[in-house]
Amino acid sequence: MSKIVIDHLARVEGHGGITVEIEGDTVGSVHFDVFEGARLLEPLVRGKRFDEVAPVLSRICAICSVAHTLTSLKATENAFAVRVSPQTELLRELLFRGESIESHALHLFLLAVPDYLNYPSAIALSADKPAVVLLGLRLKKLGNLIQETIGGRAIHPVNAVPGGFGKAPAIEQLIELRSALMQGVTDSDAAMDLMTTLPQADFCHCDTVYAALRTPSQDSYYAGDEVMAVSDGSRAIVHASDYKTLTNERATPHSHAKHSTFRDKPIMVGALARLTVNPRRLIGKLAVAKKRLKLQLPADNPMDNNKAQALELINDVERALEIIEQLLRAGVKDEPPVPVQPRAATGTAITEAPRGLLIHSYTYDAEGRITAADVITPTALNAASMEMHFRKAVEQSAERDDATLSRKLQMIARAYDPCVSCSVHLLRRQ
Amino acid sequence: MKPLLVIGLGNPLMGDEGIGWHVAERLSADPRLPAGAKVICGGTDLLRYADRIEESRRVIVVDALRDDAEPGSVWSFEAPGEPSGAGEPSGAGAPVFGSDADIACQQVSSRLPGLDNRQDNAHCLSAVQAIQLLRLTVPVPITLLGISIPSASVQTGLSPELASHLPAILDRVLQELG
Repeated sequence: MSKIVIDHLARVEGHGGITVEIEGDTVGSVHFDVFEGARLLEPLVRGKRFDEVAPVLSRICAICSVAHTLTSLKATENAFAVRVSPQTELLRELLFRGESIESHALHLFLLAVPDYLNYPSAIALSADKPAVVLLGLRLKKLGNLIQETIGGRAIHPVNAVPGGFGKAPAIEQLIELRSALMQGVTDSDAAMDLMTTLPQADFCHCDTVYAALRTPSQDSYYAGDEVMAVSDGSRAIVHASDYKTLTNERATPHSHAKHSTFRDKPIMVGALARLTVNPRRLIGKLAVAKKRLKLQLPADNPMDNNKAQALELINDVERALEIIEQLLRAGVKDEPPVPVQPRAATGTAITEAPRGLLIHSYTYDAEGRITAADVITPTALNAASMEMHFRKAVEQSAERDDATLSRKLQMIARAYDPCVSCSVHLLRRQ
Repeated sequence: MKPLLVIGLGNPLMGDEGIGWHVAERLSADPRLPAGAKVICGGTDLLRYADRIEESRRVIVVDALRDDAEPGSVWSFEAPGEPSGAGEPSGAGAPVFGSDADIACQQVSSRLPGLDNRQDNAHCLSAVQAIQLLRLTVPVPITLLGISIPSASVQTGLSPELASHLPAILDRVLQELG
């Protein structure tokens, strides 16, 4: 029996690793070890007041701090039946777009593209193709700028509070953002040009169940309380309050994460799932870009998540511009947050973090203190689907040498854009 | 004059891994902090601060270091200079980054001596990789102070062992700020 072991996806040994056992032509066990700190964090918020929860949980991940903050606020507001103003909804959506631009640019340019072009890292890529890396850095910076301007800080947005915003952005700041986003239009088009030149990556094909937030009108990372699961032509809706139906929380001995399945099938969340569930956004420029990328939906190749992220980069920049225009037209009001009246209740929120569905669910006592908290991240939701695709990739690979299989498995893992021990950032001596 | 900037990296929810964050938090309230120096509690993504770095005359990055050394040891890796071997503890400073933006592309193509430079995170870049990329656009001297930690796990505070070294680590960072 041979064994493929990849243990370098994460910065903490033993986490984020991939192990595949192969016996002759048969693939045995397939393990993806996710370090999922989120579920271990409940003790850190138990007993906290409702206005102390989001600042703590935003620190789960520096890349996704906006998503954790806003999902946390949404869960708290759902528990206390707080309805935020249309301006707050717009500002929150803008924050999400900023985070998505930053996260997708980081992932596509600094992590995925080096894979496609056979470079061991973005550093090596930058030596030969500095323009590619600089383009990625510029887009990442644009995403940062949006988050810092609207959120009030580079990470962990302090302006976003229960019921609304502490401080609304000034008109001049929005005008500055608009200028930066105009450059972002050019840059996201250039990103698309780059993506169309990358070699095809076809490592496995299989039917996949996609799940994403179903939004009431405009596509959104934030609005909506229903998830739609799409599989081979059939569809199912799950309301936020029934989220455990979706996650199913199957504990596995090899992982800290709860492996999720829906009706006994693994689910894939993220950019590709979003486009599959909400295809109506693929019009105009995005329809042309989709054709250039040769992307068919629903896709049967997990590597297409990278193409979907490139499409979302264009969409995010366009949507951010639209939101800013809308805010400038209406004028930004200096409105105080909606008052929050705590009560004993449970609130659940589902949003779309850059890498897929994010769920926060809290139970509060009458004084507004947390008695139970559940945080389910996209990587936990994707873990079972990743294992399924690892298995298919090995089964469908004509080449069985370790180096080829390792490369394929790592590229599939990275296409999912997983958050493995993302809250840890250690240096290591050689 | 452009300011000195200290960026403490780490996650305060991950125990000792958050040492850089804790150092930055303490430092920002320390009366010994030189006038005009700025301090950021930076989370785990150094690239977020590209603009701030660009606006500084010199940057000190503090991050956790996983090794077998005595917890609380401070290892200095700094620019400018020629690449050499592993870093030296407590400020002897093995130079590892090129300071000249013109040669940045060549510099960044080589492995960073002394620190592991694998792309081993599916989600973001290490401080070492981020600094190397920043060299493409930002010709600001950056000193990386790695602090040896005994563990990294979910908890809000530092381990008592590492916490006992915090005053000495702060002294070392302040010494770096001159």
